[in-house]
Amino acid sequence: MIGEFFRILFAVLVFPGGLFAIALGLLLKGVERRLVARLQRRIGAPLLQPFYDLVKLMGKITFVPDLADTNVFLMTPLIGVASMSLAMAMLPIAGVYAPSPMLGDLLVLFYVISLPALSLMLAGSASGSPFGAIGFSREMALMLAYEGPILLVIVSVALHVGAASGRGPMFSLAEIVQYQIRHGPLILDWRMVPAALAYAAFIPANLGMPPFDIAEAETELLEGPLLEYTGASLGLLKLASAIKTVAIAGLGVALFFPNGPGGVLGVVAFAAKCLVIVGCLSVLKAAVGRMRIDQAVVFYLRWPVLFGVLSLAMVAIHV
Amino acid sequence: MNFLQVLIDNLRKGPATEPFPFGDASTPAAYRGRVAIDQDACVGCRMCEHVCAGGAIRFAEDNEALHLVIWHNTCVSCGLCAVYCPTKAITLTNNWHVSHRQEDKYKQVDHVTIPYSACTSCGVVFLKAQDPLMQLAYKTVGANETRLRDLCPDCRRVESSRGARP
Amino acid sequence: MNFISKAAKKSPWIYRINAGSCNGCDVELATTACIPRYDIERLGCQYCGSPRHADIILITGPITVGVKDKLLRVYEQVPDPKVTVAVGICPISGGVFRESYAIAGPLDQFVPVDVNIAGCPPRPQAIIEGLAMAIDIWASRA
Repeated sequence: MIGEFFRILFAVLVFPGGLFAIALGLLLKGVERRLVARLQRRIGAPLLQPFYDLVKLMGKITFVPDLADTNVFLMTPLIGVASMSLAMAMLPIAGVYAPSPMLGDLLVLFYVISLPALSLMLAGSASGSPFGAIGFSREMALMLAYEGPILLVIVSVALHVGAASGRGPMFSLAEIVQYQIRHGPLILDWRMVPAALAYAAFIPANLGMPPFDIAEAETELLEGPLLEYTGASLGLLKLASAIKTVAIAGLGVALFFPNGPGGVLGVVAFAAKCLVIVGCLSVLKAAVGRMRIDQAVVFYLRWPVLFGVLSLAMVAIHV
Repeated sequence: MNFLQVLIDNLRKGPATEPFPFGDASTPAAYRGRVAIDQDACVGCRMCEHVCAGGAIRFAEDNEALHLVIWHNTCVSCGLCAVYCPTKAITLTNNWHVSHRQEDKYKQVDHVTIPYSACTSCGVVFLKAQDPLMQLAYKTVGANETRLRDLCPDCRRVESSRGARP
Repeated sequence: MNFISKAAKKSPWIYRINAGSCNGCDVELATTACIPRYDIERLGCQYCGSPRHADIILITGPITVGVKDKLLRVYEQVPDPKVTVAVGICPISGGVFRESYAIAGPLDQFVPVDVNIAGCPPRPQAIIEGLAMAIDIWASRA
């Protein structure tokens, strides 16, 4: 029992959560910035730029605005980092890492990955700035729109894997990964392709990337909820967003294409898959502008929901 | 999917960034940068002070000389001074290295000194017509013109009217 | 130079304040950020929307009487250590607006300026040159 506890602690703090996720996440952010710059014919920031930014932010002083609620204002960045490290610990990496069953299944993970958005909302509302409040309301609207489709995706994957294994819905992520290693990745299954598309549409909104960076819109909301943050707490928020990149990409990998070699090569393969997803996001970032919040909500309530329902229906008919 | 073609082209062509500040930056020859004044060509006519939009060019006098002072930190590089300078002593160079630290703020100054000379007749100190102006005013500068310009305005008036009937 | 100031040198975030500028200098600042030819992102610079994230403050414009108090308020919001840069001749000396009844400047009467970038407007390369000076000052303070 104690050994299990330390195993979980190691998973949260070092690998695959904590240090590993921070390093990979910041590197992915650096690659994204560099790639966007190249797509715009610029040279762009160095690959390690997010690390420099983080170290610099840790060295600056932290202001708490007069109107802000001090405790909430200073604690919310920690929620984001902690929840994302936990989410990483709950993500299996095929052939390398299987999460402890004590950590909970896909449904728990679904709630954990919505925590950073929640912390961003709290940050926006606690900072006492009108820009933060607008960012808060936009993040809330966007979250309500994209949480529905992602639940449909999760349920259809769980139903599909459960039915194929001759049991009820299978919400254990480790089992889902095991199933795919035995029977091939789900993305090659035609019934799961709409679900994969719905998940792909969900990624940019959750990560706050264009065209869905509505809550943190730099040019209109001055980074919305992040507006009042300085120094270390801003660094933690940036850190949470970096780990979130790995976690959301990693969840997509685990749900649809976890297959890969074991050992160190498995970690490399996982990083490479995350890199491909971030590369696609960079192309999107370089190519499109920002949607309005109403457009984004309508988009999420139309296409991803449609795809999710389609996948669910096909799985249900098959069952 | 036109945008993908654009993005692929951009990736293929590579960055279009100038090497500056790690290398040289290209500068057009006609770029209007820092003003340069030719000490020898300036005749002290004060036209540049009159037309200067930014108030960058000021003149000051003392007992020995007329001083032209230009503070580059209020020069708008409009080029009016260069256009109106009769002897083309003022030119706009394409030097754009105008950034400096605060301690150098009041060192961004150029001085031109046009010395007064004494009248050969009465000894009064005055600003005589400089050589570039003489070349501009006369086709050939003879001995008579040279003798007259070394006189102060009063003596010159007297000298010019000598021989005229009373 | 310690670890933090080494990293800080590679990550100067920029905030710009328009203190009554004619927009000429602002356009030149925008080119340094948006046009691939100049691309200040390779120096690690990043224009940020909030004064609270900034390290280097670029101030354009001749500090009109109306904007002076707002300028000082925004300036206070930037956490220390910070570096102030006057862009264009207006904040440096008043330029063509000098001696106007509507002008409270020049800038160095109100805030400690570190680098001046002269020009009306300065060309993007001159701005980058001035920023490089500002980054050196910023790294020595961080």
